[in-house]
Amino acid sequence: MTPTRLGFWSRAWAVCAKDAAQEGKRRIALGSILFFAATALALVSYAVGPFGLPADARASLDAALLWIILFFSAATGLPRALVREEETGTGLALRAVAPGAVVIAGKAAFNFLLFLAIAALSVPTFAVLLEWRIESSAALVAVVLLGGVGLSIVSTFLSALVARAGQRNVLFLVVSFPLLAPLLLPAIAATVAASQGSFAAAPLRVLVAYDGAATCAAYLLAGAAWED
Amino acid sequence: MKLLKLLLLPYMAAVIAGAFLWVEPAEGFLGESSRIVFFHVPCAWTAALAFLVAAGYSLAYLLSRNARFDSVAHAAVRLGLLFAALTLVTGSLFARIMWGSFWNWDPRESSYLLLLFLYGAYLFLRAAVDDPERRARIAAAYALFSAVLMPFLVFVVPRVTRSLHPQTVINPQGKILMDTPTKTVFFAGLLGFTALFLWLLELEARGARVRQPTN
Repeated sequence: MTPTRLGFWSRAWAVCAKDAAQEGKRRIALGSILFFAATALALVSYAVGPFGLPADARASLDAALLWIILFFSAATGLPRALVREEETGTGLALRAVAPGAVVIAGKAAFNFLLFLAIAALSVPTFAVLLEWRIESSAALVAVVLLGGVGLSIVSTFLSALVARAGQRNVLFLVVSFPLLAPLLLPAIAATVAASQGSFAAAPLRVLVAYDGAATCAAYLLAGAAWED
Repeated sequence: MKLLKLLLLPYMAAVIAGAFLWVEPAEGFLGESSRIVFFHVPCAWTAALAFLVAAGYSLAYLLSRNARFDSVAHAAVRLGLLFAALTLVTGSLFARIMWGSFWNWDPRESSYLLLLFLYGAYLFLRAAVDDPERRARIAAAYALFSAVLMPFLVFVVPRVTRSLHPQTVINPQGKILMDTPTKTVFFAGLLGFTALFLWLLELEARGARVRQPTN
């Protein structure tokens, strides 16, 4: 069966599986992101830990620091998904076998898995190093999942835009931070609530709406972002 | 457009005169600070309108691949950045009088700062791509993607976080809490700033067309 006869999700899954297989062989993206996350965690713990701030003052600070670590760790690795295709010259082949929406869906799925790996390392380590108490684990999991979906989709779409631009690593940070700010701010608010034991409905609704809007926009504009 | 240009000067002069001479300062605000509403809100409105116009022309470009639409979208973003910067300046003046500091990290202040970064990034993105056709396509995709996520930054996030900012025109009660002279000058200002933007956009787009052969 040729790739073009497969359905949208089968082809997207094939793109995701290809990236996962490549990553399984080289482990460069995962290794470098996790190393960056560990370094950032150690730095934050070293910088904030000695101050011994009271618990109520720490709630907002800890949530903000956690999301800053997650955002910058993700920013070091997630844009690689499409940039690597251009650097290795495989972008043209990928364009020939799959339309932009399929490529972005597959790459976003792989980036989401990568984000989950970052979060699985960062969140428990952060909690241990900074003695961060989480009263509602279910609420925290919901925030991390919703935040991860948005972060993966927006990062993948933007990496498609900057893949063939000059200075793409710096450019990715320049274009991604303002677009991800509406995701990071409610994620931080919902994380503060989760650490205090409550399920913050309003910020979580904003995250769901943001994820939905970003998914639709990325799907509709994928062709323009990735076509030759 | 020539008529618009000729009418704009006396019209805006009348709006400014009305803002300072006809309307009484609003209650609950220090000194004359409430008069900033006649300039600050229209600047914010015009900035948002400019970015929506940029999204509209970007969509038109992606559908037609007509370079003229791309140059209008580019001009609209540049003007949007100008009006967003004016929004921040006028907002900071108000903040200094009312809250004692030019910058307070209020969610609404921050949202317009992030909006400046968001569309400043559009200019960086354009500058980083050499091929004109690819530059126009990527810029159009970014402008449309930003237009979808911009409402979260400007309208949604500031409403789910605590803010010092006075109640906005679009408030939860769905009522415009202004007396008749204030309302008249306010909406006249909105109209004037919108017309000013359209005139500037026409000028910028015409300039871009003249410059195009040498690009």
